Amino acid sequence: MHEFLTAGIIGISLGAQYALLALGFTLIFGILGVINFAHGGFYALGGYVAYAAVSQFGLPFPLAVLAAVIVTAALGALYERFLIERLVDDHLATMMLTLGLYLVISTGLLAVFGPQSPEFSFPVKGTLRAGTLYLPLENLVVLAVCAAAIGGLWLLIYRTDFGRALRALADDRKVAMTQGMRPGLLFPLAFGLATGLAGLTGALVTPILALSPSAGDPVLVTSFLTVILGGLGSIAGAVVAAIIVGFVEAYASVYLGGSAGALILFVTVLVILLARPTGLFGREIRGA
Amino acid sequence: MVRIAKRPLAACVVALGLAFTTGAGAQTSCEIKIGALGPMSGPAAQWGLAMLGAAELAAAEANARGGLQVGNQRCTVSVLSYDTRYTAEGAAAGVNNLASQGVRFIIGPVGSPEVTGAKPVVTRHRLLMFANSYAKNAIGPQWPLVFHLGPGPSEWAAPIVRIAQQQFGMRSVAVVAPNDQGGTDIATVNAEVYRRHGITATEEYYQRGTTNFAPIVTRLLASRPDAVDTASSPPGDAGLIVRQLRQAGFTGPIGRLGGPGTDEIIRVAGGIDVLRNFYWYEVVPTEDPRVRAISDEYRRLLNKEPPENTNMWLWVVGARMTLRAIERAGTATDTQRVAAALRELPVEDPNVGRGSWTGQSFFGINQELSLPFGMGMIVDGRNLGVRRIEVSPQ
Repeated sequence: MHEFLTAGIIGISLGAQYALLALGFTLIFGILGVINFAHGGFYALGGYVAYAAVSQFGLPFPLAVLAAVIVTAALGALYERFLIERLVDDHLATMMLTLGLYLVISTGLLAVFGPQSPEFSFPVKGTLRAGTLYLPLENLVVLAVCAAAIGGLWLLIYRTDFGRALRALADDRKVAMTQGMRPGLLFPLAFGLATGLAGLTGALVTPILALSPSAGDPVLVTSFLTVILGGLGSIAGAVVAAIIVGFVEAYASVYLGGSAGALILFVTVLVILLARPTGLFGREIRGA
Repeated sequence: MVRIAKRPLAACVVALGLAFTTGAGAQTSCEIKIGALGPMSGPAAQWGLAMLGAAELAAAEANARGGLQVGNQRCTVSVLSYDTRYTAEGAAAGVNNLASQGVRFIIGPVGSPEVTGAKPVVTRHRLLMFANSYAKNAIGPQWPLVFHLGPGPSEWAAPIVRIAQQQFGMRSVAVVAPNDQGGTDIATVNAEVYRRHGITATEEYYQRGTTNFAPIVTRLLASRPDAVDTASSPPGDAGLIVRQLRQAGFTGPIGRLGGPGTDEIIRVAGGIDVLRNFYWYEVVPTEDPRVRAISDEYRRLLNKEPPENTNMWLWVVGARMTLRAIERAGTATDTQRVAAALRELPVEDPNVGRGSWTGQSFFGINQELSLPFGMGMIVDGRNLGVRRIEVSPQ
């Protein structure tokens, strides 16, 4: 029984992390129509910015996380403004631009920090225990921050003028522009918001897992999987799908092993997509 | 008229020049390109960079002596590297890439998937490859140009398990490794060695690229093992497994009968106090001053810090022997003659010591270097160092 409960706790932790990653990924697709292949790169970059802020500049961890968010958001916004913006409707070009950015980020991290994992640990230590059940405090902190970030993003998108403007651009860009929405200003902000979320996740999660220049590789796969399952562009879908992915991964790995766990995850997604080809919350045609 | 008069003069100058440069006993210069094939990025990067460092050091040593004497040529040695990302397809592509640049000799790769991917391609190009992996079919009679650097756990796991059993008294162990050939070929052998020593062993495999091992750790601990062996999991993965095992409340010893990477494991795990009780295989006796002198030589010749991973000290032996075999064979192009010369070379390295050629009984071909190795132990958070274990010549 304790394995069942432990797997549930692990599933929630995984789901929250995946949700934060998937939200940024789906936000960019939903608003700009761009599939951001550099998403994993921003995750790894966020981790390294936080690591450098702590180890080289002596910043406290919360400020290091903030620095990671600012750097990744700023880089994302600038990249969108000066490169992606020019070709935003050319799917092939934006795919190559984001893929290229990922290679630049991961190779740059490799050149600057080397290939070996540095010592970068979460400042909160200790584990909550109840019998055989356990929950590392660091996971609890990450869970709380993820929940707050998801809630904050929801409020931003659905309860502010900025969010309404973004949703208007996502629904019908031409009509939104006639109403005074400015894609040249809003698209970089949306892109920066999404990459900042990836940077936040990297800064929070890499100290409790491991940091390396290739840390973004599996992140891209997981984000893609989650967002496709939830429905490309759907914020609610990304959160629900992330929780499903987290639970399936945890329970399948605990009860069937690491190899079968990965297989079960992909089979589950495949079955859901057979029933709902647009994903759980996806629409037939993206608005923008 | 003037033009006609110049031609015989120019011809004479050219002829004289040729006579001086290609006459009997004269030496010409050449360049031998050595390929370094292995993971230079990702969780297994430590192993690939150690291999690359060894190839660079062996080349620098040869060049510092004025180059290799190959027949009547004096050849400088250069190293070209290729990042396989620890994959079979990366290794196969790497061999093609290196061959297209004129490489005839490859140091590496380091892992079983890579070796499996590289072997058919090096055979097609007739390249000589000095590989190191724990694959059960790392070498064989069908690949006569493939040599093997270090024996697998079938050769060295038994003494380590015996000493660990005496120290920690474990009666059961869970062996965890990636689910590809790089993991299964070593984990199955480790498990068998544990069983031969009366220790109950279970095997657990995970998908390479797993980032969070909490579910695997929960599954591992369900069988309540006394010890966990991380086998050939990359050092980054192993460090995270250790950290999550300790968070889950596991207090038993953790073993590593696989490729070394203790420093990175300690770093990722969160320190030696987290690791606490640990036993591991070292490819060479790492505390022998003569072995450590290899790193001093690296700093002196290459003017930079050597790679962190202790695998470099073993790779140096293979790289040096390959260059010696090229000199002895007197050719830098005929890999079959170099292979024949390599088989005849005595296994004796000025730093690592004396060993032997092995492999006939396990692989069916005597092309495996067996050298003294080490066993390290951390007990109650205190590093007891690495003890030397000799191999018996065959």
